[in-house]
Amino acid sequence: MLLNIVKSTALVALASCVLNAGEFNAQAEKDRLALEKYTVAKFKDAEKNRDNFFPYSTDSELKNNIKKDIKSEEFSMGNYAFSIQGQFSYNEIKEMPPYEELVEAGEEIYNENKAIQACFPETTIAGDYPYFDETRKEVVSLTSAINECLSNAGQKKWNEKKGKMPILQAYFAAESTDAEKKVNIKIPSAEAAAAYERGKEYYYTQRGYLKLSCATCHVQGAGKRVRNESLSQLFGHTTHFPVYRLKWGKDKVANGLGTLERRMAGCIKDQGQVPPKTSSKEMKELLYFMAYMSNGMNVDGPDVRK
Amino acid sequence: MKKIYSVVAATGLALALSGCGSNSVSTPSFADLDEKKLCNVQANGIEKVLATAATYNKISKEHGVEFKRLGMTNSQYITGAQNAIKSGAKKVVLLNKKGKATKNSVTVSYAVQRACKFAVSSLTQAAEGKNTWRAAVPGDGFKY
Repeated sequence: MLLNIVKSTALVALASCVLNAGEFNAQAEKDRLALEKYTVAKFKDAEKNRDNFFPYSTDSELKNNIKKDIKSEEFSMGNYAFSIQGQFSYNEIKEMPPYEELVEAGEEIYNENKAIQACFPETTIAGDYPYFDETRKEVVSLTSAINECLSNAGQKKWNEKKGKMPILQAYFAAESTDAEKKVNIKIPSAEAAAAYERGKEYYYTQRGYLKLSCATCHVQGAGKRVRNESLSQLFGHTTHFPVYRLKWGKDKVANGLGTLERRMAGCIKDQGQVPPKTSSKEMKELLYFMAYMSNGMNVDGPDVRK
Repeated sequence: MKKIYSVVAATGLALALSGCGSNSVSTPSFADLDEKKLCNVQANGIEKVLATAATYNKISKEHGVEFKRLGMTNSQYITGAQNAIKSGAKKVVLLNKKGKATKNSVTVSYAVQRACKFAVSSLTQAAEGKNTWRAAVPGDGFKY
């Protein structure tokens, strides 16, 4: 009897997991498609859909600042996909992008650091992170992978927000963009799907003394104006990191580049909460969810933002 | 009959072991905390409200939901208020994001009340958020 139970248990467990193996990303894919549908519908014709999506915007901003009929893949540019005025200044900055010399510096760091070369023999990897490590049962971000590589080689870990970290990542992003790589996030197991779900819950939960969720601004609020800026949309958010922010680089160009973790920590502070540590489980799972929402889009980094 | 029992037992065990079931984790609920009552300095006294703030803020930090306002964490509000009470100061100096004193200050009573409100509402909000976050997800609770 006991032997039969053990045998049947093994069989049912195996069958159950095999049946589900191809479906661990089913919910994530459903979420991604729903977000895509919402984003495309929202920016189909902002003026016409004002009641649904932009009830507080002025006629002038809907007419003069929000583009119409934006295609899915264009959203990898962030808010420059829809903001006409934003795109105008963006194109001017892109003529001589301030991060260009930093990409070269990233290549130099890569060529000089044997440990980094050994850990990352392939440089077109920007779209493959974060990934779920099945052995350790945790999400690994590019930032945590780089620091772990350095640490294993007996080298000092880098700052996870600015400095060498985003500079090296900018090199990886530029290489990935040149190779026309796409965001390629996988959800290979039930544990990975659970990590994705926790990241999703973090993103959509209201937090901080302002009681804002990330989605308040970047899903429901995407395209709306805060002061003179149009809020960017979640769909396509992670494709262009690391980014050079003019605000970050105003004192020192090298500080202008920041990792996705730096930006997210800033956003969470703006919600009025102490952000999770850059390599914490919460942060990595949040990035995992966000990156999945950009799955299939072109890697488009590094890029510049105000 | 034996075979039926065997299959039922095996299926239950298998689902539990395979990790394909629910991943929900039960956490203590703070939804019922009454922030207005707990943080009323006039009714409870400044020291009791400060102690309440410290107690709940500790839990808030453990849950990763501690509030921060203009560069100053709630822990810093609590420490500032504790130091002010100890030294007999009437004001708590506000700090910037680098932890340095700014030119701005608030009364001790105000700082204590804010610290308590922040500590308690971070927990009530997190508990409430467990039930409301899906309302913002396109394709789930968010309709447009």
